Amino acid sequence: MNWKNPVDRWGPVSQAFHWLIVVLIVVMAYLGLTMTDLPNSPHKIALYSLHKSVGLTILALVTCRLLWRLYAGTPRVLDSIPRWQARVAAWTHWALYALLFAMPISGWVVNSAAGFPLQWFHLFNLPPIAHKDQALHELARSTHETLFWTLVALVAVHAGAALMHHVVWHDATLARMLPRRWLRVRQASPTPQDAHHVQPRA
Amino acid sequence: MYSPVRNGLIILFAALLSAPALATNYVQAAGSSLVFAGTYQGEVFTGRFPGFDTRLSFDPDHLDTSSLRVSIPLATATTANSDYDGEMRGKSFFNAAQFPTAQYNATTFRKLGDNRYAADGTLSLHGVSKPVTLQFTWTPGAHPVLSGKATVRRLDFGVGSGDWADTDLIPDSIAVSTKVVLQPAQ
Repeated sequence: MNWKNPVDRWGPVSQAFHWLIVVLIVVMAYLGLTMTDLPNSPHKIALYSLHKSVGLTILALVTCRLLWRLYAGTPRVLDSIPRWQARVAAWTHWALYALLFAMPISGWVVNSAAGFPLQWFHLFNLPPIAHKDQALHELARSTHETLFWTLVALVAVHAGAALMHHVVWHDATLARMLPRRWLRVRQASPTPQDAHHVQPRA
Repeated sequence: MYSPVRNGLIILFAALLSAPALATNYVQAAGSSLVFAGTYQGEVFTGRFPGFDTRLSFDPDHLDTSSLRVSIPLATATTANSDYDGEMRGKSFFNAAQFPTAQYNATTFRKLGDNRYAADGTLSLHGVSKPVTLQFTWTPGAHPVLSGKATVRRLDFGVGSGDWADTDLIPDSIAVSTKVVLQPAQ
């Protein structure tokens, strides 16, 4: 089995990174949006701990993902895709990578500036990356939130574009980020005339 | 010549010699501290009780007449982390609004060796009074220093009740240590 990325599709390792991070981002968004309004309790602390642990995991995963991408290469842009679209897509991808770093790092700063411990799944502790500082805490917190909504917007563009490619333009953009044969790509879009000629049999 | 004044002084002196030895009374001087420490999420946290007040009567040779009284304000207890402090002073932990002061009283002292002693006293905290032993070293001098350590089991005193009783999150045993610089009471 070829683990690297062939020219026509993403290989299994890149796909695993992509979808694992998708799932973790959904978990993080849910935790992040619900945990802050809870009253102080061990339950709240447990949710924060989980949010921090998963965030650190994403930071590690995105690092490995980029290194893997450097090593394994990327598939070629589909011929059917106009140049401007390919360029917008590339910018979006790099912005998403940047946010996948910026989100956990800004969260780490929030935690450091608040003076809270940082523990990965109760296994080991990581040091603060900023001094304890109330003003920095506020700043990092609002930055973390702004970055999150930016990520939401970019993910919407990215996922929306992938769906457009699959459903409207019938190309392999989405299918090649999934295991073979999970998604069938209709080779050519039927013209309205073709559809008109299909008659139900009596 | 017969002087009533001189006679009186002699009587007073004799009375002082025959009276049971009284321990020296001390009050707390500047440079004293009362701190506590525990662990939380794999890290040590520390805090202090500013404004604690110590009254001590102590004589290493007459431990039976010695006594220690410490009063500890709780509403100003601080870990230097405002998130922790709000919770710690609140209802779930110290409940400083209802129990503003903790009190430690000891009249039983044991000599452990050289300059080391133990006070078997009672800590009144959060409406609960239970025995707590303070081990300390005594450094004599013009400003004697008492350096002591005690372990307080917070759950014995209902500090951190309900969900907060979970000792995986915050351990039961909290280490308390103190350095009290003393001066003779006026």
